[in-house]
Amino acid sequence: MKQHPLCTDTEHNPNVMDLAVPVELKQEWAALQTRRHFLGRSGKVLGWAAIASLLGDRALRGDVPASNPHGQPKMQTGEPLKLPHFAPKAKRAIYLFMSGGPPQIDLLDYKPGLAALYNKDVPDSVRGTQQLTGMTAGQARFPVAPSHWGFKRYGQTGTWISDLLPNTGRMVDDLAIIKSTNTDAINHEPAIMLMNTGNMNAGKPCLGSWLAYGLGSMNDNLPTFMVLQSKLNPKENNQPVSSRLWGSGFLSSEYAGVGLRSSGDPVLYLSDPDGVSREVRRTMLDAVNEINRQTSQELGDPETNARISQYEMAYRMQASVPELADLSKEPKSTWDLYGDEAREPGTFAYNCLMARRMAERGVRFTQVYKRGWDVHDNVTGILPIICQETDRACYALITDLKQRGLLDDTLVVWAGEFGRTVYSQGGLTPENYGRDHHPRCFTTWMTGGGVRTGITYGETDDYSYNVVKDSVPVRDFNATILHCLGIDHNRLTYQFQGLNQKLTGTTPASVAQGLLA
Amino acid sequence: MNHGLGAFADHLLPKSKSTRVAWLAALTLSLVLASLPWLIKLDGHPHADWQQFLGRFHPLAVHLPIGLLVLLPLLEIAGAFRPPLREAAGFVLALALAGCLFALTLGLLLAYGSGEAGAGVTRHMSGGIALTIVVLLCLLARPWWAQGTVPRVYPALLTGMLLLLVWTAHQGGSLTHGSNYLTQYMPPSLKRLTTLGTKTPPATSFYAQQINPILDANCVTCHGEAKASGGLRMDSYDLLMRGGKDGAVIVAGQPQRSILFQRVTLPSDHKQFMPAEGKPPLRPQEIAWIKAWVQQGASPTATTLAGIAIPQRRAEPPLQPVGDYSALMPQIRQMEQAQGAKLLPVSSKPADGLTLYTVDAAAGFGDAQLAQFQKFAPYIVEAELGRTAVTNASFDTLKQFTRLRALHLEGTRITGDGLAKLAPLSQLTYINLSGTQVTSAAVAPLSSMKNLRHIYLYNTPAQPAPAAEQTQPIARNTP
Repeated sequence: MKQHPLCTDTEHNPNVMDLAVPVELKQEWAALQTRRHFLGRSGKVLGWAAIASLLGDRALRGDVPASNPHGQPKMQTGEPLKLPHFAPKAKRAIYLFMSGGPPQIDLLDYKPGLAALYNKDVPDSVRGTQQLTGMTAGQARFPVAPSHWGFKRYGQTGTWISDLLPNTGRMVDDLAIIKSTNTDAINHEPAIMLMNTGNMNAGKPCLGSWLAYGLGSMNDNLPTFMVLQSKLNPKENNQPVSSRLWGSGFLSSEYAGVGLRSSGDPVLYLSDPDGVSREVRRTMLDAVNEINRQTSQELGDPETNARISQYEMAYRMQASVPELADLSKEPKSTWDLYGDEAREPGTFAYNCLMARRMAERGVRFTQVYKRGWDVHDNVTGILPIICQETDRACYALITDLKQRGLLDDTLVVWAGEFGRTVYSQGGLTPENYGRDHHPRCFTTWMTGGGVRTGITYGETDDYSYNVVKDSVPVRDFNATILHCLGIDHNRLTYQFQGLNQKLTGTTPASVAQGLLA
Repeated sequence: MNHGLGAFADHLLPKSKSTRVAWLAALTLSLVLASLPWLIKLDGHPHADWQQFLGRFHPLAVHLPIGLLVLLPLLEIAGAFRPPLREAAGFVLALALAGCLFALTLGLLLAYGSGEAGAGVTRHMSGGIALTIVVLLCLLARPWWAQGTVPRVYPALLTGMLLLLVWTAHQGGSLTHGSNYLTQYMPPSLKRLTTLGTKTPPATSFYAQQINPILDANCVTCHGEAKASGGLRMDSYDLLMRGGKDGAVIVAGQPQRSILFQRVTLPSDHKQFMPAEGKPPLRPQEIAWIKAWVQQGASPTATTLAGIAIPQRRAEPPLQPVGDYSALMPQIRQMEQAQGAKLLPVSSKPADGLTLYTVDAAAGFGDAQLAQFQKFAPYIVEAELGRTAVTNASFDTLKQFTRLRALHLEGTRITGDGLAKLAPLSQLTYINLSGTQVTSAAVAPLSSMKNLRHIYLYNTPAQPAPAAEQTQPIARNTP
C-alpha cells in the first residue's frame, strides 16, 4: 500500500512477516523487534518524562501566568497573554441571546415578494439537497408562508422592520442588522453550542470564558463574565439552556460565567447565614484558603488555585452583588424607559436593566438568555407575546447605554442560534402557520463600540432561504465580536489536546470588515 | 464624392475598363459598408432565432481573416528576399477580404439577432466595418505598390489595418471575456504604471461612498455575480457602465436617457419598475443622488457633487502614541497595590497607553488618590473615575493628563466649577458627566474643545431637552 509521506503510522510499514523469507528468519525478526520496541519506546518515554519534569508543565505551556509568592493566581490582564492585541473599540460586551431561533422572516428580513407566493411550494432549486429536521422532513409539501405582519420603514436609513418590533424600529439607525448570519447545525443543542463555543460538541470554552481568560477583569469585586437567565413564559416553547453554554471548557473554571438566578437571592448561599458575621466568614475563608494553598503546593493542580480565587470572589460578591441588585436608586426615567416589567426580578426587561448596571460596574461580558423563540407551530399566537417581552427591553437597554455614554465602548449583540424556515411547518392557513429550524440564514444585530451602525449587512434570496451576499458564518460572527474587543481571533489560543484551541475553530474564519466602524 | 474619387482613380490607373469597374464596385461596396450602422439599427431587442444561430458562428469565423491579415505583412516583408512569397500575398489579401466580409455578416446577425447593444458592441461593429473597408483599399492599392507607381500608400494602409485589427479584436474580446480580462491579474506595480488602476473608483469617491451602497443594497441581488438579470451587473463601476442587453443603463450627463434612472422613477406598479418583484422602492434621497451623479458625468472618481450635501461622519482623530511605560511597570504595580485602583494597558502595544480603572476602590478613591497617579499622566489615555469620591478639585490634577482621550466622571460629586481647566486636554474626545450636578453654565467651556465630541450629561441639570424623536415609521408598506 502506498503511504502518504506525512503518515507516521508504523503499522503499515512493509511487514517482514509478509515477505518471502524462511520461517526461522521471521521468528528471529519477531524476537528482535519486540526487544527493539521495548528499548526504543522506554528510552523515549523516559526522555520526555525527564524533560517535562525539568521544565515543568507551566513552562511548557507558556501562556499560563506564573503564581506570585502567595500562591494566588495572578489575575492581571494585559501581561500574561499580551491582550488585547490592538486598541479595542469596545471594553465590554452584552450578548442578548434569543434562544430557540427567532423567525427572521417575521422580524427583520423583509420579503414582500412572498405574499404573491402564498401556499406555493418552495422550489427545489432553492432548497437544494439540504437535509431537514425530523419535524418537517416528512412533509409532502413545503408551502411558502409569508409573514403575517406588515413591515414599515424606520429611521434615517429607512430600514424595513416588522410591526412586531416597533421599538427596534425606533433605534434602527443605531444598529448593524446582519441578514446573512448562518450556521452548520439544524437542531437546538448543537446550534446553541456552536454559537456560544464555536463547536457543536460540548466541552469547549464559550465566548465569555475566552474573553474573561483573554482580557481579565476590570472589577475585582464582580465576576468578569455574568449570565442572566430570563424567567420562562409557559406559553412559549422553551428549549433548555444549560450551564455548559457558559462553561469554561478546558480553560480554568474561574473563567466560567457566573449565573444570577431569576428569582429569590440572585446568587444562592451568598448571604451569610444567621449568626455568622463577616469577620467569622473571613476567618473561615482564610483557614480554607490556607489548606487549599497547601494542597496546591503538594499537587500543583491549577484547579485548586481556581477554587481559592472563587472563594475570594464569592466573599467580595457578598458586598458587591446586593449593591448591584439594588434598584432603589434608579431614577424614574429608568422605569419610564424599561417599563414596570423591569421591576420584577427575572423578566427580560429586568435583566436588560441589570446588564446595563453590570456594564457600569465593569463586568466584562454579560450574557442575557431569553428562551421561547422556538415557534414551531402557532407563529401568530406566540410570536407577538415574545416580541412584546423583548422589543421594548432591547430598545431600553440600547437607549440607556447610549444616553449614559456607555454605548461608545460597549458592544451589544442580539442573536439566536439559527433562523426559521420560509415554508410552513404543519398546516398553513391565512391566519396561522408554523416555522421549522433554518440554519442557512438568520438575522442578528450588533451595535455599540466598534460596530458600523445604521447599516444592513448581507442579503438573502427571495425566500430568505440562502445567503446571496456577504455570508457571515458563526465563526466569522464570533471573530468579528472578538475584533471589536481588540482581539485577533487567530491569536487568542490555548493549548489543549495537542491543538492551539481557539473560539473560531480550525476552519479559517475572518472578521466581517463591513460591520466595523 | 464618388465622381471626384473616380476622376482621381482615372488619373492614377491605366485606362482599362475592367479596372475601372473594379474600382467603382469597390467604392460602392465601401459606401454600403460605411452606412451599415444606419441601415441596420441595433435597437437592443432580440430578433429572429436563425439570425442568432448563424450569428453565433461569428467568434469562430472571425479568426480566419485575423490570421490571414497578420500573415499578410509577414509575407510582404519576407517577399523582399523570396519573391514567390510576395506573389502569395496577393492571394492571401483577397482571401482575407472574403473572410472579413463573411465574419462581418455573421457579426451583424449576432448583434441584431440577439439584441446586443451598448457602447462596446457599437465600438466593435464600427471597428469591424472600418477594418473591412481598409482591407478593401489595401487590395486596390497593392498593384500600385507592386508596380512602383505609388509606393507609400499600400504600406501605410497595411500599418493602419494592423492597428485597427488589434483595436477591433480587443473590443470583441472585451465583449466576450469582460473588459478587465487582460488586466485582471496584472501585477499591481504594472497597473500603476499603465494607470489602468485608476479604473477602480477610489474609496473616497461619491460613487464608492454613496452610489455603490445604494446599488448594493437594492439591485445587486438580481444584477450581480450570481444572477445577472437582463445581462446587467451592477456590482462594480465597470460592469455598471457596460450596461446590459438593453444597452447602457447610464448615459453620462443625461439621467433622463439613462435606463437606470428611468426604471427607478416609473410608477411603482409599472411592469418595468425597478427594483422588481415587490422589493422596496428607492428612497427619494437615493434617487436624487443617482440623478445628480449621472447628471454630473457619472464619474468614478469625483468625490463631491454640486448641490448634494452628504452628512459626513467626522472621522475620529488618529490615536496619538504615548511613550513606552514598560520600564515603569514595577512602580505602576506598587501604586495599584497602594491605591486599590488599576492601570491596565489599552493593548499589548505600549504606545496605546494605559487606562485608569477605579471601580475596585470606588468611594475610597478621591482627589488625593488621583493626584498620586499624576506621575503616570503621560501614559494615561483614559480615566474611569465614575462613582468615585473625586470633586471639582480633581480638575487641577486632570489638566496634567494631557494624553487623555476619555474621561469618566459619571455619578461623582463634580459640579462642574473649573471644567474650563481641562482645556489643555487637546486629545480629549469623550467626557461623561452623567448623574452629576453639573449645570449648563458649567459645561459651556467644553464647547471650545474642538476634539471633544462625546459629551454625556444624562441626569444632570445640564441635560438638554430630549430632541423630538421620530417614532413614526416613514412609509406604510402596501403589498
